[in-house]
Amino acid sequence: MSNQLTAFARADGRWGLRNHVLILPLHSALSATARKIADESDGAVAVSHDWSGEVDGDFDRIIKTFAGFAANPNNYATVFITIGTPGELLIIDTAKKLGINKAEVLNVAELGSMGKIADAGLKIANSLLKEVKTKTRVNAPWSAIALGQECGGSDALSGITANPALGVASDRLVELGSASVLGETTEILGAEHLLAARAITPEIGAQIIETVARYERSINYEGIDMRGAQPSRGNIEGGLTTLEEKSLGAAKKAGNAQFSGVLEYADQVPKSGLYFMDTPGHDTEQLTGFAAAGINIVVFTTGRGTPTGSAIMPTIKVATNTTMATAIPDLIDLNAGTIAEGIKTLAEVGGELFDLILAVANGQITKAERGLHHEFSLSRMYNTVIK
Amino acid sequence: MLPILMLNNRKILILSEKDNIAVCLVDMEIGEVIGQDELNLTIQNRIPRGHKVATSAIAKDEGIIKYGERMGHATSDIKIGEHVHTHNVLGDRLSTEQVK
Repeated sequence: MSNQLTAFARADGRWGLRNHVLILPLHSALSATARKIADESDGAVAVSHDWSGEVDGDFDRIIKTFAGFAANPNNYATVFITIGTPGELLIIDTAKKLGINKAEVLNVAELGSMGKIADAGLKIANSLLKEVKTKTRVNAPWSAIALGQECGGSDALSGITANPALGVASDRLVELGSASVLGETTEILGAEHLLAARAITPEIGAQIIETVARYERSINYEGIDMRGAQPSRGNIEGGLTTLEEKSLGAAKKAGNAQFSGVLEYADQVPKSGLYFMDTPGHDTEQLTGFAAAGINIVVFTTGRGTPTGSAIMPTIKVATNTTMATAIPDLIDLNAGTIAEGIKTLAEVGGELFDLILAVANGQITKAERGLHHEFSLSRMYNTVIK
Repeated sequence: MLPILMLNNRKILILSEKDNIAVCLVDMEIGEVIGQDELNLTIQNRIPRGHKVATSAIAKDEGIIKYGERMGHATSDIKIGEHVHTHNVLGDRLSTEQVK
């Protein structure tokens, strides 16, 4: 197998591992139309959401999320559908500043009706998809890969099989010059001291500790008893007892490399190195934040077979146990359960995962892509204030 | 999955020599005797696959050690061979005790 990475070069120096045409509605009421355009097109993707332009405590976070998602290097082009509010225009402007490859805007107010939007959208989408067909991959450096690490539906084997296997693959990518990102602040609580000890400077170590402490303070301030939610009922059935236990296993995704920095939710990921990003433990909110950060490929380890994927980032599913991998083969790309069975070593499965990441980066379709698992979810910190 | 495990004769997985628990790789029945990795213990409760078993006696309030790291504390005395889970363990952080 060739070890050469190939990708689509973007004008701003970033790299796409896919060449999507994304139909992005900027108001919840436009979601159905965006989906209709994508469904009727020759292969465009769309997402639905529930934001209706609210200006509240989450406004900046939401603008940043939509703009980054639109500007993700895996998008050849993004077709924005808007009703023309200032918030929507700010999203389009911000996406341009973030280096969006190609932007098209359809305004309901200008076109006059949903039917006209759907017709115009379909025409533009198919014309962009025709352009996509003329584009070819070129040899790319390892820094073209920005890997997101995710675990969902964790069980007792997550920290023993799939997560450390991802750690092996991540370490190898980081050494070659790729970027790799660990997220889910909830799920490093109890393991942050181990991660902080691996920071390249004491300041970055202190930032990792403070990010978790900030989260812990907010939970304590709200008076929330995390037991029952973290670990979840499914985690507890699987044998995980405490949040710290879950975190010690979750942190194994990040391997043994040093941490080069801490990123806020949806901050743009630097070209190379291992980073920690402050994201929520909710799978879809975290994946959306990863996409908005410019991450172009994800490895998602799962004990219970979480189907969640992304409209624009190929998401590789790694099973922690053979029972589940055998039960739902249509969702699982690689089974790491063989490590617990003594059939394969951690190094072997880590190597297989590295090869799979390269193959998927080079265009091999994941199970989540084939199944059209296009989940999208905005991350909110505050209660919505109706304007 | 089961036949391979039986062939390898591995029923539990010890993750670090500092640990006072091991992970069960198969469903355990009461009275089952484990002799593996210089360890001898008799299973005290039914323990599902993936759950933890005490590999030494753990006193109330003592730390539960997994991967060589503390993951919480015992809320009652735990005998060797006993199921270690939410009924006898609490996390050290973000629990009700700390919030109140």
